[in-house]
Amino acid sequence: MSTVLLRGGRVIDPTHGVDGELRDIAIRDGRIVALVPGEPADLDIDVDGCILMAGGIDMHTHIGGGKVNLARLLLPEDHRAGANPHALPANLLELASCGTCTPGTLATGYRYAEMGYTTAFEPAMVASNARHAHMEMGDVPILDHGAYVMLGNDELFLEMLARGGDFQQIRDYVAWTMRATKAMGVKVVNPAGISAFKFNQRKLDVDEGHVRWQVTPRQVLHTLARALRELGVPHPLHVHGSNLGVAGNIESTLATIAALDGLPAHLTHIQFHAYGREGPKKFSSAAVQLAEAVNTHPNISIDIGQIMFGQTVTASGDTMRQFANADLASPRKWIGSDIECDAGCGVVPFRYREQSYVNALQWAIGLEIFLLVRDPWRVVLTTDHPNGGPFTSYPHLIRLLMDRGFRDEQLARLHPEVAAQAALRSITRELTLYEIAIMTRAAPARLLGLQDRGHLGVGAAADIAVYREQADREAMFSVPEYVFKDGALVARAGRITALPVGGTHFVEPDYDTAIEKTLRKHFASHGSVNFDHVAISHDELCSCCNGGRLLPTACFQGEA
Amino acid sequence: MSVLTVPAHAGTCWTCPFCPLLCDSYGVAVDTGAAGLRLTGSDCTRAAEALTRFAPAPGPQASLVDGRVGDLATAAAAAAGLLHGSRQPLFAGLGTDVAGARALHALALDSGAISDAADGAALMHGLRALQDRGAYTTTLAEVRTRADLIVCIGGSPSANLPEFFQRCGLGEGTVEARHIVMLGGVADDTAADEISALARLPGVSVEFLALQGDLFDTVALLAACVAGTAPAGSANEPLRSLAGCLHAAHYGVLAWEAARLPAQGALIVEALNRIVGTLNRSTRAATLPLGGGDGAATANQVYAWLSGLPLRTRAGPAGLEHEPLLFDTDRLLTGRAVDALLWVCSFGADAPPKMDLPHIVLGPAAMAPQFAASTAWPRVFIPVSTPGIGSSGHLFRADGMVMMPLHKVMDDGLPTVAEVARQLRTALAALRVGER
Repeated sequence: MSTVLLRGGRVIDPTHGVDGELRDIAIRDGRIVALVPGEPADLDIDVDGCILMAGGIDMHTHIGGGKVNLARLLLPEDHRAGANPHALPANLLELASCGTCTPGTLATGYRYAEMGYTTAFEPAMVASNARHAHMEMGDVPILDHGAYVMLGNDELFLEMLARGGDFQQIRDYVAWTMRATKAMGVKVVNPAGISAFKFNQRKLDVDEGHVRWQVTPRQVLHTLARALRELGVPHPLHVHGSNLGVAGNIESTLATIAALDGLPAHLTHIQFHAYGREGPKKFSSAAVQLAEAVNTHPNISIDIGQIMFGQTVTASGDTMRQFANADLASPRKWIGSDIECDAGCGVVPFRYREQSYVNALQWAIGLEIFLLVRDPWRVVLTTDHPNGGPFTSYPHLIRLLMDRGFRDEQLARLHPEVAAQAALRSITRELTLYEIAIMTRAAPARLLGLQDRGHLGVGAAADIAVYREQADREAMFSVPEYVFKDGALVARAGRITALPVGGTHFVEPDYDTAIEKTLRKHFASHGSVNFDHVAISHDELCSCCNGGRLLPTACFQGEA
Repeated sequence: MSVLTVPAHAGTCWTCPFCPLLCDSYGVAVDTGAAGLRLTGSDCTRAAEALTRFAPAPGPQASLVDGRVGDLATAAAAAAGLLHGSRQPLFAGLGTDVAGARALHALALDSGAISDAADGAALMHGLRALQDRGAYTTTLAEVRTRADLIVCIGGSPSANLPEFFQRCGLGEGTVEARHIVMLGGVADDTAADEISALARLPGVSVEFLALQGDLFDTVALLAACVAGTAPAGSANEPLRSLAGCLHAAHYGVLAWEAARLPAQGALIVEALNRIVGTLNRSTRAATLPLGGGDGAATANQVYAWLSGLPLRTRAGPAGLEHEPLLFDTDRLLTGRAVDALLWVCSFGADAPPKMDLPHIVLGPAAMAPQFAASTAWPRVFIPVSTPGIGSSGHLFRADGMVMMPLHKVMDDGLPTVAEVARQLRTALAALRVGER
């Protein structure tokens, strides 16, 4: 039972309101503990001059499953340096794994951990692809992981909704799906729109009917949000709204918020949903309207999906919108798929350019939202990896948010009209370390219901990042001095030092098993897999995930 | 005789690992006597034939090192020595499940091996087309639920995938009227019988369409007809008519079998993807790939997610190198570009190539007699369990989106590929430490 003491650092732990106090943190058996005065530690680490935060939690990052692997297959060029291979890792602990916007799972784990992140969530797990998603996440070393299962485009759900039958049946189906796929949450992507595209519908507004089922996105949103609320699932409905990327889509985003009718929801990669159609190019920032809506709706949380300039790939379940944007692919190739009457996926490579008016404005809009929403507890820092940019750009993004001078310098390099007119120019706010700690660990932990993560209180899991305080925040957040995962030192000054297997977060809401009879019938008449093969058991999950720990999160008492 | 209930709680729920459709609504009966393993609930010829390869109650099977019987530890040490002495090993066959591919991947990185699947050339048709231009694909449940036109490129897939049309839901009434087009293939009595049998199903119409030239010419011309750029002329009329059907269909599906495509088949796949791309601008369509069986697609996916690069990759001195044409098993063996071979065929389907070089084979126990004699070159045979027969496991289905669980139906007392590969890796590491 060895004890490690991190001595003399400044602690930032927003969950407990601690903002930069000099405190010692002790670790034993993978947990943060309180030492009795005078109790010696087995290992004393001097962290004078350092900032201590809980390990980072990325609550929306495409790290595993069908579309992520399709992106890797599509882009061999992301896995070499020009005509040459990337060098093999110098660190003997690492196996060769490469890629920037589509890194292999091994590289994903190494690079996140080196940056001080210890948990990541795949936000778009297709139910019929759940085993694959868990397999990939299980091959991400070090990090704990989990996934949100996609609902709201599966034919069974839409049919049930169209029939206008018993709400409880739908709620049971949602719970069953979460349990069967070992999901941490539910995500709806372009509500009813992925399915509508299979019926050749090319656009679907919030109050427009699905051409086959005649249900609207509004109904889908409200039904799913209500189901999760009643089931007591800690993470509220994760919403990728209608009309992603479309000029003027702020209208559908505001309609989406209205459709939720006060029910809690998390609107993801909101930057892509905050566009107006003002100005000569009919494309403008609606960050002010969006921020106003978020500020006045305490039931809403968001993550940003900040874009970063350079090459990336967009991997999304939204086939309808990915198809619409496929002609903009760079390089010019893309993958789409209709999946199992369940969902879909679209993988479109993209290069965000500083000199593109639209891209420059997207960049500004993301930052504006970060800086205009008042409550940092409802904002999570993401690039929607890899859709806005790779997760390795987080330190740069943090500097943009914390350093106005740096931000203005970057803005000046962009398309001249954006540089001259963006509202971002007049925003003086600089985020503090405390606010960054909220947006990168405390808030995501709270939004997911993770009781023992995202903070540094006694009893918490010892997921800890120790950053050397530096004026250059990008440098500071790029290479923490020490990173601990469940008490094990996993990275030291940017070098991986241990490779524990991460655990899987999931929830298991209760439901009436009578629903299984309906589902068995549906799978027999419309599916392609034996119903008895759909659900993943605990044992199977464990083997998929390389023997990692199972980390079920308790549901709260649902509110019917 | 006992009919197995696999898994115990789920009735006769077995996943057949012997073709990429991975059907899971049939059962296996195990007779410890002469009858052996027998398929129940289906008359799939491919599954029935594959099951005859497995003895129902095999005793423990020993490994063979240069023809001499040895235990697993001895064989693993010999195999590791062989890899250790190799300047450029090749891992081929790769007939294994996800766990096996995970373990082989790590061993390949440690030993600097090139990895390629048994029919790597077929796998590369789809992969190269994907890398060049992308694709739009569909899956079995979508086909079953909404495909009103299914075009079978190169002819009926049922010779290799006997349950294909069954899996598409033909005759079930889910889709009111379906039209099936066999584009090419042999127009013999068997084909005619199949066509008339399918056409008798309610709501199904079937048509045979001869190729216009070879398959390359045909798909190129069909692409032009679909795009409306084909030259006028009566010779093009059949394909023009098919293009019209594709435009008129609500959800047209182009099903293609990788293993049946000729050399440079990527060009054919690319044309199919182009056809679907054109159609999707006004109606809905998708391709349905039918290939990647015997673990090929599974190893491809696993390698891709772990390292970022798919098969036909090696961890060379300069880093990971992916060479979809150069790293071809036949080419490497013929050109003597590799000096050791690890052949993995746990499903027992693929006979190893001519192996006039040091080699290690991980295969079903039934292959052992082939390795009983010593040869001029060192060789090791380690019998391994077959996923879906002697052990559980996971495989990707042909459409690439669904990973199916496989169940053990009997105890074969053999280690899995994953277990052997991990043991080899440990033994290889020990040799390296000993050298320092």
